[in-house]
Amino acid sequence: MRYWLAILLAAAALAGCSSRADRTEIVIQRFFGECAALYGTSTDISSADTECGILTTLINKFGVENPDIHLKLNVVAWPGYPQLSAQIAAGDPPDLVTMHQSVIADYQRRGLLEPMDLMLARARIGRGDFTLAGERGVLKAGRLYGMPWDTIGGLFHVNTALMAKAGLMKGGRPILPASPQELVAQAQRFGAATGKPYLIQAQVNDPATHVRNLYTYLMAQDEVIFPDARHIRLDTPKAREIVGFFHTLYVRGLSTRDQDFSGATQSFMNGDGGIFPVGTWMIGPYDKEAQQPGRPLYRGYAVLPYPRLWGHDAAFVDGHAWVMPKRPRSAAQQAAIARFLGFLAAHNFDWTRTGHLPAFKAVLAMPAFRALPHRADIAAMAATGEQLPDYVARQSAIQGLIGEELEAAISGQKPVGRALADAERRVNELLAEML
Amino acid sequence: MRRLPWPAMIAVLVGAAIMVAPLLWTLLLSFKSNSELMRDSATAFAAPYTVENYTAIFSGSLVPRWLLNSLIVSLGTTAGVLVLCSLAGYGFARLEFPSRRTLFALVLLGLAIPEQAVILPRHQVFAALHLHNTYPGLILPGLVAPFGVFFMTQYFRAIPKELDEAALLDGASHFTLFWKVLLPLTIPAQATLGVFTFLGSWNDYWWPLISATTSDRYTLTVGLASSQMNYAQTSGLGYLMAQAVLASIPILIVYVVFQKQIVRAMAGNGVR
Repeated sequence: MRYWLAILLAAAALAGCSSRADRTEIVIQRFFGECAALYGTSTDISSADTECGILTTLINKFGVENPDIHLKLNVVAWPGYPQLSAQIAAGDPPDLVTMHQSVIADYQRRGLLEPMDLMLARARIGRGDFTLAGERGVLKAGRLYGMPWDTIGGLFHVNTALMAKAGLMKGGRPILPASPQELVAQAQRFGAATGKPYLIQAQVNDPATHVRNLYTYLMAQDEVIFPDARHIRLDTPKAREIVGFFHTLYVRGLSTRDQDFSGATQSFMNGDGGIFPVGTWMIGPYDKEAQQPGRPLYRGYAVLPYPRLWGHDAAFVDGHAWVMPKRPRSAAQQAAIARFLGFLAAHNFDWTRTGHLPAFKAVLAMPAFRALPHRADIAAMAATGEQLPDYVARQSAIQGLIGEELEAAISGQKPVGRALADAERRVNELLAEML
Repeated sequence: MRRLPWPAMIAVLVGAAIMVAPLLWTLLLSFKSNSELMRDSATAFAAPYTVENYTAIFSGSLVPRWLLNSLIVSLGTTAGVLVLCSLAGYGFARLEFPSRRTLFALVLLGLAIPEQAVILPRHQVFAALHLHNTYPGLILPGLVAPFGVFFMTQYFRAIPKELDEAALLDGASHFTLFWKVLLPLTIPAQATLGVFTFLGSWNDYWWPLISATTSDRYTLTVGLASSQMNYAQTSGLGYLMAQAVLASIPILIVYVVFQKQIVRAMAGNGVR
């Protein structure tokens, strides 16, 4: 009896080994959180919701459709770069990683990422398939260092019920200002009609908001923000005018004051103001509110790109991408990666349900995409979206430094000119220390 | 026991209320739905309450694994620190050997070196030894405990030397003296050191974050952080608070069980 039991166990162990050994393993590392509780085994993409849910379901579906490939998944704490750097330093990075496009340069200039032109070609993806913003996001030194996955950027989220009350709607669409003066006039009219501030702003502890506003309107005026890899130019008349304008809105009570991101979000959801400039990622939650009877945003929500207050249409954007850290890989692993990238590209539309804009032109043109709520209104950002030049490193750290100074300037803790001069000095010091 | 005068009692109660309020707030938030909190975080103080955040955490397939990892790492570190620091403390306090004072000074110097200063070379060494994503990789750095060595040395020094002489006269070896005579007398110090080592190891985030980079090797702190989405403080506040409550429960248990030792150590009475 024992003899047969031993044989049975050995056979089972061998069977396990062989089925595992036959499969090609690639390690996928991503952020966006963990939601195995809701989507652990789901492959029904159409019913998935949120960034985490959609991506988890996509990975599950790929696993089911490709039994010869074993995707080993690592979910890392946001944003995952300390772990990735540690893995690279230890010589054991994953095969594919989610990365913000603004971060790619930090790794690419140190030679830590594989150029992916050939890998993408193998997945039947060409440079021409990407939207302009998507291509700009992964193109470094003339080569593709990632597969763009989306474009994210700032939008004007509008409470149309309050705008209507102020007479700022036309043909069912909000009338957005075409100059700073017009915005102030609209804000005064809005305040008089509703008794509420026109603008809701996340002013505290949210550097991204301030930097997005400043970069967007500097780009709209074709200002050169980074003349080279070692310098930023912020202490300029145009920058002073933009930051001064937001300071004026604050001082004159035309925007909410001293709210952080959570506070500003609650304000907008509860109808405490007209317009909340915030990113693409909030379309989903706000749209849900707009569908709930009794809520302040019920049937009263629209979202549009930043209005053209200065210069031409522009939007400072970022995006997510899939990148390949440098490491030795077998031919089978490379083939598996190509297949996975092709699968992701084919499902880029599903990802756009998060609120982010697609990275592929074909999706942008899809009727199904245009039929998603508000997407037709914001699709233009996929073309107008601009990023910082590919030689600008440490963009996240730079954003933190500038954001601190702008927060002080807008709330009046520091004169605008001094804040911009300090921001310029601090960023230049950081860039001077770069190896 | 002498009762506090009533003004002091009121001051203590007010102080306690101020200390407890954020903890209670955290607990209340953890029982609210995320969508409700996204609209208004003040609803934490009113029904309805739900356990959906806790359900979501425990439905995560890897949470039990992260709990187990944290337990293994914290208990392993605590056991290792107690063994090594007791031996080192006995050696420095009771044995004569060349360069004893210099060596002790070198150990104390370790107290002045912050972890951040050594983390890069340590990471490289562990990478070369293929120790990342292993339990030894998570436990070994915690065994370097200059404070523990100092603490145990001071404790051993405070024990009367007459005990050693009596034991040695009776023919005891140094190990017997250490193991059967002195070590039992250091139990209060062991408990204090053990509790602090366990708490430090359980709460550690930075080293596990960069050493345990595969999901199945995360400790609870890193695992819970990885399960958060961006802007979790806005769209997943209840879930975030439930994570905080869950992560603090083992610490709370340790505190309740070893309250006497912790209070004594905090009051500076850990060393007699």
